[in-house]
Amino acid sequence: MNEVLNFKTKLLILCLILSFLGGSVHVPAQEKKDFPFPYTQYKFNNGLHVILSEDYSLPIVSVVMAYRVGSINEEPGKTGLAYLMENLMFLGSENVERMQHISIIHKVGGEFNAATSEDRTIFYQRIPSNQLTQVLWLESDRMKSLQIDESNVKQVKLDILEEISLRKARDPYLESSWRFDRLLYGNFAFGHPVIGSEDDLRNLTVQDVKDFYNRFYIPNNAVLSIVGNFDRKKALADIQKYFETIPPGEPIPPVPLPKSPEKKSIVESIQAPLAQSPGFHLGYRLPSPASEDFYVLSIIEYILLRGMSSRLHKRLFKREKLVLELNGGIEKRQDQTRLKIFVVNNNQYMVQRCKKAIFSELHKLKTNFISEEELNKVKNMFRKDYINQYTTSLPKALFLAESFLSRNILLNPAEELEKYMAITPKDIIGVTYRYFGVESVILDVKTK
Amino acid sequence: MKVKNRQAIILIFFLLSQIALNLPLLSQERFRRTPPIPEPFPTLQLPEIQQTSLYNGLTLWVVPKNDLPIISLKIIVFAGESFSPENLPGLATLTAHSISRGVSDFSSSEIEEKIEFIGGDFSAEIYPEYSLFSFTFLEEYFDEALNLLSRMLIEPTFIRREIDSVRTAVYYDLLEKNSDPDFFVKRLLLQALFTNHAYKKSTFNEDGLRNITQKDIVSFFDNHYRPNNTHIVFAGNLNFNTIFREARRFFNRWQRGESNHSALPSPEPQEEMKVCFIETPGAKDATIYMGNIIMPATNPNIFPLIVMNQVLGGTPNSRLFMNLRESKQYAYNAFSEIEFFKSCSVFSIHARVRPEVVESSIMEIFNDINLITDKKIPSFDIEQAKSYLIGNFPLQIETYDDLTSKVAEHKALGLEDEHWNKYYENIMLINSEKVFELAKKLPLKTPVIVVAGDGNIVLNQFGAFIKEVDIYNKKGIYLGTYKFD
Repeated sequence: MNEVLNFKTKLLILCLILSFLGGSVHVPAQEKKDFPFPYTQYKFNNGLHVILSEDYSLPIVSVVMAYRVGSINEEPGKTGLAYLMENLMFLGSENVERMQHISIIHKVGGEFNAATSEDRTIFYQRIPSNQLTQVLWLESDRMKSLQIDESNVKQVKLDILEEISLRKARDPYLESSWRFDRLLYGNFAFGHPVIGSEDDLRNLTVQDVKDFYNRFYIPNNAVLSIVGNFDRKKALADIQKYFETIPPGEPIPPVPLPKSPEKKSIVESIQAPLAQSPGFHLGYRLPSPASEDFYVLSIIEYILLRGMSSRLHKRLFKREKLVLELNGGIEKRQDQTRLKIFVVNNNQYMVQRCKKAIFSELHKLKTNFISEEELNKVKNMFRKDYINQYTTSLPKALFLAESFLSRNILLNPAEELEKYMAITPKDIIGVTYRYFGVESVILDVKTK
Repeated sequence: MKVKNRQAIILIFFLLSQIALNLPLLSQERFRRTPPIPEPFPTLQLPEIQQTSLYNGLTLWVVPKNDLPIISLKIIVFAGESFSPENLPGLATLTAHSISRGVSDFSSSEIEEKIEFIGGDFSAEIYPEYSLFSFTFLEEYFDEALNLLSRMLIEPTFIRREIDSVRTAVYYDLLEKNSDPDFFVKRLLLQALFTNHAYKKSTFNEDGLRNITQKDIVSFFDNHYRPNNTHIVFAGNLNFNTIFREARRFFNRWQRGESNHSALPSPEPQEEMKVCFIETPGAKDATIYMGNIIMPATNPNIFPLIVMNQVLGGTPNSRLFMNLRESKQYAYNAFSEIEFFKSCSVFSIHARVRPEVVESSIMEIFNDINLITDKKIPSFDIEQAKSYLIGNFPLQIETYDDLTSKVAEHKALGLEDEHWNKYYENIMLINSEKVFELAKKLPLKTPVIVVAGDGNIVLNQFGAFIKEVDIYNKKGIYLGTYKFD
């Protein structure tokens, strides 16, 4: 018995010692020294993922706090919660007064912003490097204890309702793009607008907001990336001090993916009462970004749509003068990707001609090898944009946070770039055949 | 008894362990309560800017930056709108946008292809005194880029079809801007301040574009696009000697021109308050711009001015925003700014306010002006403004494009090196006395005030502080004068 008690006592003492020493233990760093810049990753005990990258060229630090939450995490009848949360995060927390976050960043000459998308919410600040600890204090406080009360929620709801009405007034095609997303994604979670519906917003309660915050804005659903001029030891100590005692939340189950779409095309139309000119949305369902085909699709996006010398710009704008407006590109919502093209034309006749011209360009991609010169041009454009992701501390910090959120691992950017640069004309024909068949989704936008 | 003792020991250990476990949490609550004290501001090492000239007068500025395989160029040609003839407003703008629309053996489309082939972007912005071209590309195409640039600057073809296409693009761009009150109100402010001065020509509207001919453009180009009237700023992983050699290779054939660019005289500040109004029926907000002409950026007093602007309206923490938006709840936003020209600067204040409180807003703006002209700004406010300016400066030069833009602005305005190398020191030397001495002398109380808004709600409010208001349309055309009884 004595021995047992002694053992228990020893165990207790050991636990006591460990409680002093072990509170700060985190998973050892993983260091990458590769191009285009070195970074080190850490996993804290509460699940917070931290990525640090030093750059001493200027006395600047960029801090990105990204949460894996967006509109796909909302339930029917409660849309707009993620965007509402983004706005609420600036209205104070237990130790930070209303607007104090903004005020501190402005006073020191820094910049901040936030963005909510379908699958993530990102807060970022670019500040003089001596202010890093302040920002960690601010970010940790709103992660730990956001002020959610009737008055804050009411104010944000009113602001967003105003924003929705302004957006609708300014963009006569906005509601058609929301309708198009529902058709193209074929699923509520992935297809509803980030800003939410006006009715849902009005009906959201303070408890709804608190529940959403407690569920998703937790360290084990977040990544903190810091890039710039800082001392790594000091930064780690500060992150530990401010974040590690924030308790983790319940693990978040993944959002069910939309069912595999039926192999058929969808054609619908919508009235846009405020629009002056007709147009249409055209979309294709693409494979996951993790697929090897995705590299080729990214290059196809450039061939068709990027730059004034891209095929669709040249044909629709310059040669045939069919369009007033042309936008498009590949869109990612978690594991779901789509190619979207939106066109505004002068009249209905131009709409029909324009569709034919786009299908004809896709057909050409399937049947003719792209010339080496055009492929080199497209790769150069892609490479320049790819490199631009690493121009300064903020794009680097965003890149690191977003890459981690996309796949839970950081891919080597240099090796990734090599994959794009290795694409051949044959790859382009093969992938165009696979994904640009007749199974398109078209939403015609009609005027009154 | 022995067992009881053991239990007591366990209990004590348990309690101790609980205290120990919770100690960090308790202390955390304390350190979370107040913001941490920032460390001292780190030193800023600015890249050294090297300069050289070719024999034909082309000036080259080189800023070393070697972290990415990209090169960024800014080309300053002293051929801004001030140099357009009186009867041809917009000529400098059409000329600048047309140089990339065809050279001797490449069409406009071929140039676009070539620029995109080298991973490039090319764009033009036109200021009153100069036109600024930005050109960024992948570093391995340095030769191709300089070759293309030299051809655009030396031998553009200016064919009619392309000029018409540029004219249409500029026309629709201006037409679209007519829906933005910040654009047309600011334009009218500058138009009113620069009456009888060449700078006024930069406030042109879309109406005059149709009068510009191909011959006008060719003649403007021949007169102004000359190497001795041009500076090029380079940033990238570049060796100074290589740049000099390559620039000589591609630009040596560019013929020097007559130098007819004597500095423009400084415009006179407005001596009496004047109000202009632009009717925007049904507008939900009213837009206010008020400002006056002050000294140019080369004046030694520019540093107190920069600090003063920061205190008054540089950011949402400044006085105007805090007063008009946060305290009075009149405004959506309220800021002040300094726009630099070579011969002068314009200090202006702008705010977007509720239409029914235009007069009250203008009075509050004057109150804030009085607070800096009639008494010293407390040192705390001055130090806070300096902290912003010093902290924000490196943020303005982080990208290749930002860096070359900043250097190009310095060179275009003819600023001394100390504006670059000693920016921190110059800002640090500013105190309340220096700002007060300057603020007293500035013509801030006799501004031109331009307001756009719904006339039914706004117009009569001006009667509280002025006898007449000049009425203009969005294009800046004078329509008449409204007099109050």
